[in-house]
Amino acid sequence: MTGTAAVLGALSVLALAAGPGLAGLVQTAKARLQGRRGADPLQPYRDLRRLWRRSVVDPEGTGAAYRTAPAVIAAVTAAAVLMVPLGADAPRWPFLGADALLVVGLLATARMAGAVSAWDTSAAFGMMGAARDLAYAVSGEALLLGTLLVAALPAGTTDLRGLWAAAAQAETWRTPAHWAGLLAVALVVLVETGRQPIDNPDTHLELTMIHEGPLLEYAGRDLAMLTWVAGARHWIVMGLAAGVFLPHPSGAAAGAVVTVAWLPVLAAATALAESSQAKMRLGRAPRLLASGAVLTLLGAVAWAFGAGL
Amino acid sequence: MAGIERVGADAWRDRVARGNVAGLHAAIGPDGTPEVRAVLAGETPRLLAVAAPGGVVPTLVDLLPAGWDEREAADLYGLRFEGHDPHRALVHHPDDRDLWATPVVGSDVHTVPVGPVHAGVIESGHFLFHVVGERVLHVDARLFHKHRGLERHAEGRSPEDAGRVLSRVCAGCAVTNAVAYAAATEDALGRVPGEGTRRVRTLLIELERMWNHLNDVSQICAGVGLAPGTMLFATLKERVQRVCALLTGHRFMFDAVTLASAPGDPGDAAREAMRAELAAVAADAATAARGLLFDTSLRDRTSGPGRIDADAVRELGVVGPAARAAGVAADSRTDAPRLWYPGFAAVVPPTPAGDVAARLEARWVELEQAAGIVGELLSAPLRPDAPADTGTGTGHGVGIAESPRGRTVCTVEIRGGTVRRVHLRTGSYANWPAVAVAGTRAILPDFPLVNKSFELCYACVDR
Repeated sequence: MTGTAAVLGALSVLALAAGPGLAGLVQTAKARLQGRRGADPLQPYRDLRRLWRRSVVDPEGTGAAYRTAPAVIAAVTAAAVLMVPLGADAPRWPFLGADALLVVGLLATARMAGAVSAWDTSAAFGMMGAARDLAYAVSGEALLLGTLLVAALPAGTTDLRGLWAAAAQAETWRTPAHWAGLLAVALVVLVETGRQPIDNPDTHLELTMIHEGPLLEYAGRDLAMLTWVAGARHWIVMGLAAGVFLPHPSGAAAGAVVTVAWLPVLAAATALAESSQAKMRLGRAPRLLASGAVLTLLGAVAWAFGAGL
Repeated sequence: MAGIERVGADAWRDRVARGNVAGLHAAIGPDGTPEVRAVLAGETPRLLAVAAPGGVVPTLVDLLPAGWDEREAADLYGLRFEGHDPHRALVHHPDDRDLWATPVVGSDVHTVPVGPVHAGVIESGHFLFHVVGERVLHVDARLFHKHRGLERHAEGRSPEDAGRVLSRVCAGCAVTNAVAYAAATEDALGRVPGEGTRRVRTLLIELERMWNHLNDVSQICAGVGLAPGTMLFATLKERVQRVCALLTGHRFMFDAVTLASAPGDPGDAAREAMRAELAAVAADAATAARGLLFDTSLRDRTSGPGRIDADAVRELGVVGPAARAAGVAADSRTDAPRLWYPGFAAVVPPTPAGDVAARLEARWVELEQAAGIVGELLSAPLRPDAPADTGTGTGHGVGIAESPRGRTVCTVEIRGGTVRRVHLRTGSYANWPAVAVAGTRAILPDFPLVNKSFELCYACVDR
């Protein structure tokens, strides 16, 4: 392992702790945009400390799926955080590698574990939220795959480090595919972080919940893990958007700094998107996601013609 | 004086069917046994009563929207309404679901029970949804979780003391409840307030309407997560409540209207400052409302769900902005001799489709109207009648006032200077059954929005 790889690897490990702060930044920016004082971006860490000290309660009649879900979801999410590309020389993690498709699989595994846990409790809100999450995933995962596809075609690889290097090349920015992917990844950020207009993370209205529904059953340390996961997902999708689609220098040090510097910008943009519109009616969001997926297909077709295939 | 007319069980249904009934309640009659009383609205509201020999009274549910009234009377007074079958508990909360909810059967029907404890700070209400997928087949609402016995608490007190109890039924319509009670008591005692008092009471009711409507718009925006609308209208509501505090010493105007008194004039300069501030709020609200009108993300959510059309309004006895949003121009302010509404005409929104969007628009047009009335009443000094002794009297009285949620009816029975029975039927109470109906056929995640478009009060039934 080279020195650069060691530094970038250490940065990825630090990123495990940074996710909640990114979510906190969205909350703070939202509060300011809405004329409220709001909590500072470190509030999620205080919440995590509070939850971590509390005991865990199991609903009657639940089994292994419910009990293990928070740990499983946290583990696969942690793996996905490590894979977020911060440079072309980032380490190739043992067992994980650096393939973009694995990130899709890890996110899907987390989603599935959450849904199975909701099924285990059979509680109405959890089942309802999980069902909606899975329904959205049909078009949401197509969108995510399509987005990675239009990044992978010009780069000629699905290795995330290769995708990161490609985004640093001026040539990549001349392909329409990359621009289509850039537009589509904005939708990916909104759907995977559970933000408006797709979902509302701050709602107290149980009947409208998607991601929050299954969380209602958890308490204490379990809830702390799932709250951390919600923050870490911000790092994963915003990191993917910055590393694979946003411009950054090709040098290792400057590239990593610029990639990370994009994240607060994306957090602010998310806060702006969330503060300026109402949540979409359920059933309308999949169409938006599907149109994003179609956009990536158009990008792929444009690339195919440009490449002279 | 309203007086009370007692009819036999054979004439009861016939007499009630010919009148304009504004609510039923049970009471203990002069012979010490329960009787059922109906308020007949009109130029001079009257009371009609029927004795319940053996606790049995003919039902009225096939004639008028009295389902909740009869279920409440049955639960609280042990009456049985002949023909109202099956009786489903309303105030009582039996464990067996079949005793209070409508049975729904089907292979793909799921039940989603919500509340009474919610994820947010909301009053206690339980809603039982029967759904197929996301589509709502039927909703059963179970309220009355915090029955406080306020009516019973008011009984046996002097009219002045009982008024203090009644005005605390709910903070949202504290003034309307106090005014309806004062009107009922004065009706029972054969008094008519002077013009000065009528003007002050009207001013306070319209101020209450202003802050409530601003709050309702804010809540509807919160229901769809539209932050700009939520925050803007919450700010405007606060500005009105600060004027309320300046004028009456209380943001919710508790105890501002009593039998004996009403707030006096704050002085020309202060009154003019209040008038200017409220006019500025109304102008800001109109600007903000135009912004919301052209917000497609909001329009997309509000158009369509929770439709209650004009026929349903009449069938369910819907009152207030919810009725006017369906094009039914009914408003108890058009005929309010005990208040000050010269030349008043009810307004309906431009597109009275009866859905969430129409109820939102109804708030805007009524805000403008209320701001106009408030501005006019604040242009002249406030000169309420000198404090009067309520004295000792005997009689029955009815008071009707239009709360921000619709017609509020108060009935009082006074004997020898003591309140013997008092009953308060608020606009919220009248409209709750319609919320459950409006939620039917909506998709489940739209129900909170439909509910917020009525923005009814739980405390009004927990009285």
